[in-house]
Amino acid sequence: MPETLSQLLDDSVLAMPIAAGLIMGALTINVLMLVWAERKVSAWIQRRMGPTEVGPFGLLQTLADMLKLISKQLITPSNVDKPLFHLAPLLAFAPVIAAVALMPFSKSLILVQNDFGLLFVFAFGGIAVIAIFMAGWGSNNKYALLGAIRSVAQSISYEIPLILSALSVVLVVNAMGFTLASGGSIVVANGLDLSHIVMAQDQHGLWFVLVQPIAAIIYFISALAETNRAPFDIPEAESELVAGFHTEYSGMRFSMFFFAEYTNMLIVSMLAVVLFFGGWDGPVLPGPLWFFLKSYMVIFVMMWVRWTFPRLRFDQLMTFCWKVMIPLSILNLLATAFVVAVL
Amino acid sequence: MGYFGKVLSGFGSLLTGMRITFSQFAKTFFGRKNVTLQYPKEQPKLAPAFRSAIKLIRFEETGTHDCVACKACERICPSYCIKLSGGKVEGIKKKRVAEFEMDFSLCSLCGLCIDACPTDTLEYSKVYEEAGYNRDWRVDLVAEFREYEAEFVEKQRVIEEKAATAKKAKAEAAKKAKEAKKAKEAEKAKEAEAEAADTAEKPDTAEKPPALEAKPAKADAPAKAEVPTAEVPTAEAPKS
Ligand code: SF4
Ligand code: SF4
Repeated sequence: MPETLSQLLDDSVLAMPIAAGLIMGALTINVLMLVWAERKVSAWIQRRMGPTEVGPFGLLQTLADMLKLISKQLITPSNVDKPLFHLAPLLAFAPVIAAVALMPFSKSLILVQNDFGLLFVFAFGGIAVIAIFMAGWGSNNKYALLGAIRSVAQSISYEIPLILSALSVVLVVNAMGFTLASGGSIVVANGLDLSHIVMAQDQHGLWFVLVQPIAAIIYFISALAETNRAPFDIPEAESELVAGFHTEYSGMRFSMFFFAEYTNMLIVSMLAVVLFFGGWDGPVLPGPLWFFLKSYMVIFVMMWVRWTFPRLRFDQLMTFCWKVMIPLSILNLLATAFVVAVL
Repeated sequence: MGYFGKVLSGFGSLLTGMRITFSQFAKTFFGRKNVTLQYPKEQPKLAPAFRSAIKLIRFEETGTHDCVACKACERICPSYCIKLSGGKVEGIKKKRVAEFEMDFSLCSLCGLCIDACPTDTLEYSKVYEEAGYNRDWRVDLVAEFREYEAEFVEKQRVIEEKAATAKKAKAEAAKKAKEAKKAKEAEKAKEAEAEAADTAEKPDTAEKPPALEAKPAKADAPAKAEVPTAEVPTAEAPKS
């Protein structure tokens, strides 16, 4: 299957649309299931039942919601900045697809092989910030603008510990050489290549969460903030800002933001799996299955966190980032660099 | 506590919070115990003393309610939510309610009407699904009793008739009993007299003279007895 797929992708003119369609379809199903899972997990944590009516165990509930959203009228408020307003949902939507394409699902199943995959994933995450700010600014609505400002401040702040913690993993990988399974030769590992990160863990039989526990925790917390999830969901804080940056969006445009948000969850979880939990590495089951299993475990923890902690205040959020996360991640990076240099 | 101590203790408290939510999650997910009541599919268990809107009791003996339209409930209701009418029903002595209009939207479930009812025919019901769709939403509490009403009236009429005839019969029986008693007493008196006469006139015993003497005594007795027997029924009547 991977062979035929990659052949198809290599040879055909249809490669682009086919790949895009595959990713889109998979991501849509993923989002539908994630929303369902989120509702179920929240219900179970609160001793409720969650959706039960549509389909078995309410599985089709989000599909019904999706149909409803699709059938809704697209409202464009009269005083919005039209180009920005229309472009923002697309801009939020497109980079998440690109980021998923970079992920190494298994040794052979990598849709886009790139030497600097890690960098690209973070770069695509950066575009999402721009999209959110465009949406907030273009909406010409105070709540949307406040939400967008908060979001930008938050994303920019938390990107620093996020990248610093990923960087300490990169240092570790760079320090390790590993033998490629096919060639049998020692290759200098490239820590920015996502598949190399996994291979390094695979070969040494050691998940980096054990080598870099502090980086893993910092990464996870920053990832929560990056994806605007509770307790860092102040950009959309319902109780303060109506709905934050997407206040003025309705129907499909709103669901595009929604789609981007949940896919972002998947992306940061996949990245967490690549960086700290050994990627496709696992016994018995095929690689991609392990990869997704681990990713969804990380997502489960994200949901668990969301339904446990209350939302932070904005100053607490900033204090936490600048006074705790960034110093800790810098210390961690320095320590890692020191150890790597000495060894 | 230094900087790192603070960070560590904060992290520890986060973990505590997550442990708590996970224990709840596990109780629902593995223990299959949740607090949701799937309402239309499941019915709630009502407490024994659950008090909902009032209703008329259907008594087993009569097969219907026992409201006599006395309006005690209407008068005592602090929310003015009862409006009833009724009165004499052809054929029976009892008054009956014809219409018992309840405005459940006003009822405060205070229970005063239940206490006030002289025939104890009101009680709290257990309905909790009542809903009104307009402002003057009224429920006729006797509506469900209408089909039994004719039957009840018929039965009641028969009962009353029987009671009346029984009463008459009783009164008559009592009268007769009294008469008989009086007669007996008179006879006894006469016998005693006769005996007295017998003993007195023993020496020249003659059967005839005492018989002759007894005759006026016998005629006298009923005349004497008539006065009390006439009084007896009037005195007994209110009792029965
Ligand atoms: S319970 Fe109280 S408020 Fe309700 S009908 Fe009876 S007297 Fe009126
Ligand atoms: S107090 Fe009782 S008997 Fe009198 S009208 Fe009310 S329900 Fe009927």
